[in-house]
Amino acid sequence: MFAEWAEKAPEGPLKRYYQAGMVTPQTALKDTPLLALDLETTGLDPNLDEIISLGLIPLSHKTIRCQGAQYWMAKPERSLHAESVTIHEITHSELAEAPRLHAILDEILIALSHQVIVVHCVAIERQFLLEASMKIYGFPLYFPVLDTMDIERQATYKPWWKRFGKQPSLRLDACRQRYKLPRYKAHHALTDALSSAELLQAQISYHMDPNADISNYWV
Amino acid sequence: MDVELTEILEALCQHAPFNEIADDPQLNDMSKEIEIQYVRAGEWVIAPSSLNNTLFFIRSGAIEVLSKEEKLIRRMNEGELFGYFSLLRGGKSSQSMRTIEDSLLYRIPARWFLKLYEENDIFSDFFELAREVRLRVAMDSQSSDVSLMTCPVVSLLRRPPISADISSDILTSAQIMAEHRVSSLLITENDELIGIVTDRDLRTRAVAKGLPYSTSIADVMTRDPIVMDSGDYASEAVLKMMESNVHHIPIVKNERPIGVISTGDIIQKESHGSVYLISDIYKQTGIEGLKSISRKMTHTFTQLVVADANTQMIGNAMSHIGTAFVKRLLQLAEEKYGPPPVPYCFIALGSQAREEQTIKTDQDNAIVLSNKYDEALHGEYFENLSEWVCRHLDDCGYTLCTGDIMASNTRWRQPLSVWKENFSEWIQKPKAEALLRLSIFFDLRGIYGDKTLAKQLNQHIRQEAKQHSGFLTFMARNANQRKPPLGFFRQFVLDGEGEQSRTFNLKERGIAPIIDIVRVHALACGSDKLNTLERIEDIEAAGLLPDGRAKDLALALEMIGMVRIKNQKDQIEAGEEPNNHVNPENLSSFEKRHLRDAFHIVTRQQEFIKFRYAGKRS
Repeated sequence: MFAEWAEKAPEGPLKRYYQAGMVTPQTALKDTPLLALDLETTGLDPNLDEIISLGLIPLSHKTIRCQGAQYWMAKPERSLHAESVTIHEITHSELAEAPRLHAILDEILIALSHQVIVVHCVAIERQFLLEASMKIYGFPLYFPVLDTMDIERQATYKPWWKRFGKQPSLRLDACRQRYKLPRYKAHHALTDALSSAELLQAQISYHMDPNADISNYWV
Repeated sequence: MDVELTEILEALCQHAPFNEIADDPQLNDMSKEIEIQYVRAGEWVIAPSSLNNTLFFIRSGAIEVLSKEEKLIRRMNEGELFGYFSLLRGGKSSQSMRTIEDSLLYRIPARWFLKLYEENDIFSDFFELAREVRLRVAMDSQSSDVSLMTCPVVSLLRRPPISADISSDILTSAQIMAEHRVSSLLITENDELIGIVTDRDLRTRAVAKGLPYSTSIADVMTRDPIVMDSGDYASEAVLKMMESNVHHIPIVKNERPIGVISTGDIIQKESHGSVYLISDIYKQTGIEGLKSISRKMTHTFTQLVVADANTQMIGNAMSHIGTAFVKRLLQLAEEKYGPPPVPYCFIALGSQAREEQTIKTDQDNAIVLSNKYDEALHGEYFENLSEWVCRHLDDCGYTLCTGDIMASNTRWRQPLSVWKENFSEWIQKPKAEALLRLSIFFDLRGIYGDKTLAKQLNQHIRQEAKQHSGFLTFMARNANQRKPPLGFFRQFVLDGEGEQSRTFNLKERGIAPIIDIVRVHALACGSDKLNTLERIEDIEAAGLLPDGRAKDLALALEMIGMVRIKNQKDQIEAGEEPNNHVNPENLSSFEKRHLRDAFHIVTRQQEFIKFRYAGKRS
């Protein structure tokens, strides 16, 4: 797939991203390079809202490496809603000094190269990055994902006749508590990336086989 | 782009030692090199006899530390560090660590640990391997200078001395005092101090006698007053004031007066006023008065704790107050039943004898009678006297001894010769069981009456004990009966077997074992001291312990004693009856950490005396 996209993509950073390739579906989970990612945005609509920050933190099935952590802020084209400011703890002045997304996306793509991405709730991250890529390069950005929310859904799945009372919450914080992970202040891209990285470690130690093919897990 | 992992840095900086070095810019760089690991319960983090190259920080969860023999050493939880011991020894680990809960661990690279250890003194102090050293550093940082024991009198001076020349009359003198609002005036001749005049002197020696204003001040003043040197301790000033019944003492430096301290200055400093409580006790003429003073004791006690007095000072003050009650009651008893027909000495046993009383102690006392005592002639007198005193001590809050070790018990009211025989019997033919109950008799102090009786008995005990090593073997064995806990885990007290409990008795399992250990050594070296710290000095001088070990015992005692006293103060403030039970939930992490060190010292020294005074194998 990546080879095919590498041919079609326009010259530039995105082409180079696809040319770097991806691990094969037969790669064992324990040998897969993983990268936890989180975005903060001005809102929830990928068509209207924009990315304002992005955090990355590399990990293996056993260890999270703070040394490779990266973080960017991006100045949105439109102005920031007052309510999203309160959620993100990122101020207008911080954003005013930040570069535009198109100026940093090249760098982000280099970081994403050859990595399987770890996020909690794939829909948002994938959609926003896809939108951004379409707008900036005129071509879609695809990447394989380990979705900790999806992993948790499967781990806690019970057929309807065994369900009793409320379904367990799949929010990041609630999932973490299930594994006795500490509580963090949410809504900082790097903290949330760290958050889902830790959650994945816990999920791997409980529910996943490090020797199984990555294709069993990625979406 | 400066990436800051706030969440990680903040978590580290909530705990020692990082909280104390939070301003070190290197911490941020270090946090970027941390690796994070999730480990499920029951897995090895550092497996037995493996190499370790990481400092671990427990972000959440819990760890158990095991010795080579797989014996539990301690349990650790959130915020604690492990692995440093092996890092300082080149990676070799004598202990192994495994998770007992699902845990999130931060791995800090060895090179960062070693770098901070090298460069930052606060950081390296924290990891100081010798618990004794760590405890010493901690205690030093806690000690304060507010106490009368440690502050020089000069620090109490509030103004330069106000003085008048010897040629002045009493009117001018009074005017000078009024102008400067002082209650005493120094009288000088050629700038040399020759006398002092106080408000009271003017009142009783001049005004009340109708002396004319023109009377020379020389006729009213106290000539050659008691003075103190500026370097003397305030506590000595208190003693001097009490001994000589004066309320003002001029302070001199190089023989020139530099000021006056008054009882008022002392009260301000010593706000608890234990000194005044004692003089109040002696003024009472009846039981009701004594009882009402005894109700103020808790206040005096809490004030002492609040004023940061150390345990030695508090023990000293509480014991002196306790002794004052006994003495006053005996004086009243002698008024009631008449003077004693033969000499006797009332003796305090245990904590009161060691001058280590705290609030809430029961009474342990006895009477040594002169050898002239004749049961038929004098028995009734002493029975009445001791019965009356013990009952009223109980009224004053010193509850009757449950073991009946009191002067009111005929068995503990004997002539000196019988006492000597008793001790010879206990020492020459020791029985473990009996000695356990009798150890209290080896801390014995005469507090009223003919104190030479107590002195002779003590001499007898020292001589006998020194000569009978078998006796010391038994005492050493008994001193091993009560073991300190291993440490703490979360809100629990942790024992060697891995058992956890909610509370523990700090006196039984911390203080008493130290007192027992010290008593054995003290008897071995023939020390005539009773106070544990003073005994420790004698033991050190006698060279019974390896260098520094005697001091360690003193530190451990102070640490444990302080926690106990603070705990009692908190109980009083919460409206509870003070006792010796401590709930780890009420301990700070500082206290937990250093209590564990203190317990460790006690355990090691218990081991030591077992070996040091081991009896001959039969």
